[in-house]
Amino acid sequence: MSSRAPFTSHSSEPVRRAEVTIRLSEFEIPPMQDVLLVGKRAPIGPEAVRRMVDALTPEQYDIIYLDHEIFEAAVLKRSLLKFLPQEKFLPVILEEGMRVATENTVVKAQVNIVVQVNRAVDL
Amino acid sequence: MFSAGDIMHKNPVTIDPFESVGRAAALMNQFKIGGLPVVEGGRLVGIITSRDVRYSHPNRLVADAMSRNVVTVSPECSFWEAKETMESHGIERLVVVRDGRTVGIITKSRLYAEIGKHVDALTGLNRAEFLQHKAAELLQSGQEVTVIFLDLDNFGAIDKEFGHVIGDEILQQVGKILKSVIAEGLDYLCRYAGDEFAVVTVRPLEEAKQLTWRMIKALADASWPQGIKVTASAGVAGGRRSRVRGEPNGTHNVRDLINLASLASTKAKREKRPVVVAGWVELEEAG
Repeated sequence: MSSRAPFTSHSSEPVRRAEVTIRLSEFEIPPMQDVLLVGKRAPIGPEAVRRMVDALTPEQYDIIYLDHEIFEAAVLKRSLLKFLPQEKFLPVILEEGMRVATENTVVKAQVNIVVQVNRAVDL
Repeated sequence: MFSAGDIMHKNPVTIDPFESVGRAAALMNQFKIGGLPVVEGGRLVGIITSRDVRYSHPNRLVADAMSRNVVTVSPECSFWEAKETMESHGIERLVVVRDGRTVGIITKSRLYAEIGKHVDALTGLNRAEFLQHKAAELLQSGQEVTVIFLDLDNFGAIDKEFGHVIGDEILQQVGKILKSVIAEGLDYLCRYAGDEFAVVTVRPLEEAKQLTWRMIKALADASWPQGIKVTASAGVAGGRRSRVRGEPNGTHNVRDLINLASLASTKAKREKRPVVVAGWVELEEAG
């Protein structure tokens, strides 16, 4: 009489495989886009952001330290501020940022500014 | 012996501003401490406390979590000055700095324990050392001071006749009465020894004399256990800094001033006058 247990009757062992999926994409430099809003309790603070920005894109961004209920700092692309002065732009971006962010998050924002000009010239 | 340098934790554990909050938390845990001075290139740039660590993400840089306004004291700062600084800022540790470099840290518990040694357990008043340091501190800040020395009359006889328990009750009550007469921020009271109390005040001599009379009257008007009559004799002496350089911390001269007031109180007792004013004495300029 055989002493083998019935569940060992399958002769083949299970096959173990690994599937590797690779997604390659270009690392954005700088990793932020036009604006970065740094939450008060975010994993990185303004000093870390400043060092990152200085290292990756020197002289292209301004860091504004804020006295705000959610955000501790805003990083603004300088070229944007040529289109719209900071005092006009910052309240808008903070107002919109507050709708989606908490003080634990860092939010990046892509901003398009279109300046419309109508001018008349004498013929 | 009564300065921050004597009780500070020397060579405190510090952290670089560009280390992580997680590292700061680990250090605090390892050394069982509640705060780390943040030092960059040998210079103090901030302080991070366990509260900051609790509030901040562990990935953050210390520079993004620390307080930049660090309250510091020099090693020469007196216990009482350190206590005032701590209380006025509502903080629990002071960084001790010499020439911009961190040399130590003082915690609230250590400071209070040390000050407790200089508080009289019976009356809750500071002891004599406080008076000497307060007077020296006031003189060093350019203020004129007056010392009032009060000696209870026949207290030995009261102790013998009514017992030490009643004697202690009387001393406690004297402390309370004198405390109610003086003004905080102007007058600093201590139990000097036994049945002797002293006040250093920034009031001018004439005003200090009036305060002395008010104290004497308050004691005479109070009702005491078993109807005992409690009175005191007082001596008053004023001091102002002269331009002559002398002792480095002025303490020796302050002792002279206290002694002058003490001798005036003895004279008052001998001549059966409630108050004797010794007058002004010129003190050598500190430092």
